[in-house]
Amino acid sequence: MTEKKVPSKVTPLFFARSYLSTEDNKTGSWRFLRPRYEEKTAPCSVACPAGEDIGRIEALTNQGMFKEAWETILRENPFPGVCGSVCYHPCEAVCNRGEFDEAVAINAMERFLADTARKNEFKPFLTNLSAKKEKIAVVGGGPSGLSAAYFLTLLGYNCDVFEAETEPGGVLRWGIPQYRLPLPVLERDISLIKDQGVQIKTGIHISKEFLKEAGESYNAVFIGCGYSRSRELEIPGEDLKGIKDGLAFLNRIRHGEKPRLDGLSVIIGGGNTAIDVARSVVRLGGTPLIAYRRRKQDMPAFSEEIELALDEGVVLKELVIPVSVVPDKGDYIVTLHYMRIMGEDDRGRALVEPDGNKTEEMRVKNVFKAIGEETAESWCVPPHKGEGVVTLNNSTLDCRTGSAVLVFGGDLTNEIKSVVHAVASGKEAAIALDILFREGLDTVESKIRDCLVGNGSFCSMEIYMKGPRFDRSSHVVSYSEINADYFYLSQRITQPRLLREERLATFDEVNLKVSASMAIKETERCFNCGLCNQCDNCYLFCPDLSIVRDKTPQGRHINYDYCKGCGICVVECPRNAMILEEETNEESAGRESCGS
Amino acid sequence: MPLNVPEQDYMYPGHVACPGCGAAIAMRFFLKAMGEKIIIVLPACCWSIIAGAYPQMSLKVPVIHTAFETGGSVASGVRAALDMKGDTGTTVVTWAGDGGTFDIGFQALSGAVERNENFIYVCYDNEAYMNTGIQRSSSTPYGAWTTTTPGRSWKRMRKKNIVEALVAHRIPYAATASIAFPEDLVRKVEKAKDIKGSRFLHVYATCPTGWRIPSEISIKIARMAVQNNIFPLYEVEDGVKYTINYKPKEFPVREYFKLQGRFKHLTEGDLAEIQEMVNEDWELLLKKAGD
Repeated sequence: MTEKKVPSKVTPLFFARSYLSTEDNKTGSWRFLRPRYEEKTAPCSVACPAGEDIGRIEALTNQGMFKEAWETILRENPFPGVCGSVCYHPCEAVCNRGEFDEAVAINAMERFLADTARKNEFKPFLTNLSAKKEKIAVVGGGPSGLSAAYFLTLLGYNCDVFEAETEPGGVLRWGIPQYRLPLPVLERDISLIKDQGVQIKTGIHISKEFLKEAGESYNAVFIGCGYSRSRELEIPGEDLKGIKDGLAFLNRIRHGEKPRLDGLSVIIGGGNTAIDVARSVVRLGGTPLIAYRRRKQDMPAFSEEIELALDEGVVLKELVIPVSVVPDKGDYIVTLHYMRIMGEDDRGRALVEPDGNKTEEMRVKNVFKAIGEETAESWCVPPHKGEGVVTLNNSTLDCRTGSAVLVFGGDLTNEIKSVVHAVASGKEAAIALDILFREGLDTVESKIRDCLVGNGSFCSMEIYMKGPRFDRSSHVVSYSEINADYFYLSQRITQPRLLREERLATFDEVNLKVSASMAIKETERCFNCGLCNQCDNCYLFCPDLSIVRDKTPQGRHINYDYCKGCGICVVECPRNAMILEEETNEESAGRESCGS
Repeated sequence: MPLNVPEQDYMYPGHVACPGCGAAIAMRFFLKAMGEKIIIVLPACCWSIIAGAYPQMSLKVPVIHTAFETGGSVASGVRAALDMKGDTGTTVVTWAGDGGTFDIGFQALSGAVERNENFIYVCYDNEAYMNTGIQRSSSTPYGAWTTTTPGRSWKRMRKKNIVEALVAHRIPYAATASIAFPEDLVRKVEKAKDIKGSRFLHVYATCPTGWRIPSEISIKIARMAVQNNIFPLYEVEDGVKYTINYKPKEFPVREYFKLQGRFKHLTEGDLAEIQEMVNEDWELLLKKAGD
């Protein structure tokens, strides 16, 4: 083809055409602020005594990765089923979403994951660390003992659990009514603990002598005997035959007894045992009345349980103490003395004193006492701080004997007597023992501090084992640090429950199952505070195309050759998983002068 | 859930926009939605610089740099040339700033739209002549400081309503969009792409340098402008059919003004007055949309 000849008089139109890209300009040299990915700590995970990685669990659940979410629980808590049913969920009280609309239903999600794992017979992929030579005995097969054994097994120790009853589980099996914690849920959690390699020996009553002998065959003994004996009222008539012990009553029901309880039953106390007894009395046909010496808001029982009890018809009489119980023609005459509020203590609970001589007599069919429990044996009581004794947040180490180290945990060392605190105690004890055996007594306290979640007082196994959580900042994300513009108001799921009429007739579980679609919808509400859920906002809004996708777990990195440090990514991150810092590293950016 | 925005980028890093530049983000989203079969006509504006000084180029699509006032006319010419070549698949896009649209390029734009030239005109609006040193334009909002409305002489004229001016031409498609609402922006670009005739997009693009704001809140400010009804998201088809795309909860405008250095001289009384204006404009828009 021949080109047309341009007449020589006409100058050809000249278009200057660029032929280089701007990639030669290393605009990173402009930067004086430096964005960086930094995962932070969610408030829920700090409040959770088991230190569960709740933000991550919700994110995985939302993506339909139920098994991974469930395994994430198991890394910190061997009782997802139990806690999903009976945990008093302090996590939800501090949920940042609560300031936006309503807290995420974390507890219901935990139970959903446990149920899903049970239904699909998931097997967790959790490998124990290489075997250690030390052997450890665990006294008490309740939640703290089983947790201690579970975490010690994960750390590679050989553990034997000694349980006095015929089956393991402690208070979970014998103290919590089935309508709150059905047996199959408990059994599934315990079977997983066994599968992990924990040996449980039942029907073995442990005495003080055993502790002495244990020194020969074990390097440490964990004592998690719990509170199994009811405290005394110390009033006339208390020792009458027929005055029932609350915990023993619950125990009988769990053993299958279903006594008919007509008429009025008075339950003395304000803790969870009192509520459990009262709600059981309802189910056995009786009319329960709880007599508590302070106000409803002062009751140590969990508020949700109190509300459910009142809903089921339990009557609560505040500001009364029993002063005597007298038998009368098959009934009892209980005399209640009215109390008066004098002020509040430093925790906001009412301080009370008898209100003159104001009393009331009440004719009742049954009297239950549930004013709290104490240890059955004196050797279960942890020693005070001193030489050779290390008092931690949720457990106590006693190294004075010279033979086996004694570790006290569970209710004995926990201020709040809850299942999840028992888990915290067992985990802390396991970590403390590992530190003790590997590095010595002196480092226990400081090393335990290193694996606390955020600024809280509970340990994380994953942080101790230097898993991905170890790299997170301990900064606890507050609501003001969440970019709420990326979230829409949405209602929290309502926990489906049996109708009240259905509840009253049976010991069937009150809470009904949550469906997968409900769980995905609910977990969508989670802010995942401080955690990256791969939303890609940083990538999308970058004016300098400096966020580059990659195959790392983060999924992306910042190309500091071009990043000008504008910080849009940090502000547009909905969940505060990034941070903007002053640029200090002179070498990181291309410092040669750029093109313009 | 990640925002639904196409994956492919048609820009290179290393461009010399200021940190946090809203116009750079606007171009990024626009090209993601538009694809590479386009020719960009670029009258003088910030983007004349961002696109790269010769021989560099920050875009992966063809660009013709042209004079300030010629956005509409050069695009008409390029379109005619493509049509002569039989190339109907390539879209001609004019990418102009607010100065090149509201003021200097207005007659060429008006002429092109009146002829219903088959092209897309995008005005990325940073509310002043930023590139040349923050001089006021007819897009600068009431109350703003600029270097030509300094001190107590802050701008006391209202911002020109450019969409309404275009709607008066019975333009087939006119819409507002914001860099803080990428899904909405992408949808509008894709919609405009499929319409024949003149199409106008008014894209709100924050300017941290000229607005005296920290660069990191660039998107946040753009989002607030929409949330506060200062920059409503809506579209108009054939000059008559109005659709409001985002109905905000009507937050007070105060917070938006308080965050920006260019408004720091405004008193509470001034802000109350501005609130009145914003409410009035919004009511007017609601009436037009028949809501």
